Amino acid sequence: MPDLSRLADEELMHFVRHNDTSAFEVIYDRHKGAAFSLAYRMVGTRNAAEDVVQEAFLSIWRSGARYDRARGSVRTWVLGIVHHRAIDALRRSIVHSKRRASDEGLEERFESGERTDAEAARRDEARTVRAAIGTLPPEQSRVIELAYFGGFTHTEIAAMLEAPIGTIKGRMRLGLEKMRAELRVAGVTP
Amino acid sequence: MSEQDHTWRDSVAAYLLGALPEDEVLALRMHLDGCATCRRTLDDLRPAVDALPAAVTPLEAPPALRDRIMAIAESEAELLHAAGPDSNRTPARRARPRRSLRARLQARVPGWLVAAPVAACLLLAVAVGVLATGDEGVRSVTASVDRESAPAGRARLEIGRDGTRLVAQGLPDAPGGRVYQVWLKRSGETAEPTSALFAVRSDGSASVSVPGSLEGIDQVLVTAEPRGGSDVPSRQPLVQAFTS
Repeated sequence: MPDLSRLADEELMHFVRHNDTSAFEVIYDRHKGAAFSLAYRMVGTRNAAEDVVQEAFLSIWRSGARYDRARGSVRTWVLGIVHHRAIDALRRSIVHSKRRASDEGLEERFESGERTDAEAARRDEARTVRAAIGTLPPEQSRVIELAYFGGFTHTEIAAMLEAPIGTIKGRMRLGLEKMRAELRVAGVTP
Repeated sequence: MSEQDHTWRDSVAAYLLGALPEDEVLALRMHLDGCATCRRTLDDLRPAVDALPAAVTPLEAPPALRDRIMAIAESEAELLHAAGPDSNRTPARRARPRRSLRARLQARVPGWLVAAPVAACLLLAVAVGVLATGDEGVRSVTASVDRESAPAGRARLEIGRDGTRLVAQGLPDAPGGRVYQVWLKRSGETAEPTSALFAVRSDGSASVSVPGSLEGIDQVLVTAEPRGGSDVPSRQPLVQAFTS
């Protein structure tokens, strides 16, 4: 058995597909922070975020065979599943109304203290992505924020911002196009 | 480019952000099959959406969460291991359509326990009955929940074309480090185990896929079992749903 901790995510997925819990554990440990951070950002309470992450990783455990490396990294795949689960949680429950009510400020108390090279690289990436979002006109960054992190549909956002649905969708596309161009210049995406 | 083309391209952005309602998702997917321009837009915008998680404040996941997830994964792995080395392998030749791993796993366990003498011992919190058939062909069946173990518990089966889900609220954590296991029971026969093991969420809710077909099954049961699941229910059912 190879040293799993030295294998790339994509190689580990081979073992996960064969029900290897040790490989699954390594995948979990590598991406738990990003997964929990995204879930918490979306659902706004610690308990709900834990539920989202639990559902997402058990789904990954049970459907590892669905990972297709041609469509991106394991990390992107994992976070995509977390995002979908968080949206499901937001739309099926009262989390929307409760979000950010009870845990506001909690972030400071359990912010990650990791200082590995990988973490440092991710912090650089985070700065670049935030900077790219910062270049967007406010009306574009707002709709992207509400859609991706808020889990709202274009219809809900249109009602919230009192703008036509077509306008909202157009802002989403223009914002993503500009973001993509900024990230390409910064070398974050090809 | 026509106005209609712009509308579809805008929909691609909303789709990637998760902001398209379900009915529009289906329409867009059909459109993508025949529109190379929109597929290029999809590929072009996707990296921007994939980068968005990097912008959130990094937090540490609670250690207890890791324990819960790994306990369930290890339980399921034990069950799969018990199914034997061929349980995950595709036969070279198949005389009949391949069955799912879970179905094969289920079939391998010998028939056991005669019908659980459970119903009489239960204090049932919710009456049994078919509730409704939704617009999307999903039939909802209300289940009984043991009032003693889960005073506020509620559960139902959602039976659809693509399978069955057990959805519950107000359930306690399975006692003594156990996990919940789903069982299928035919009239007059022993309850059969499934590979569906689950833990409830922190708010007492759960949503779990019921493996296999319900054809010929008249009850779906849930019991608290040791990690890895059991061949025979070791406890009274917490949830009992009659499928017809």
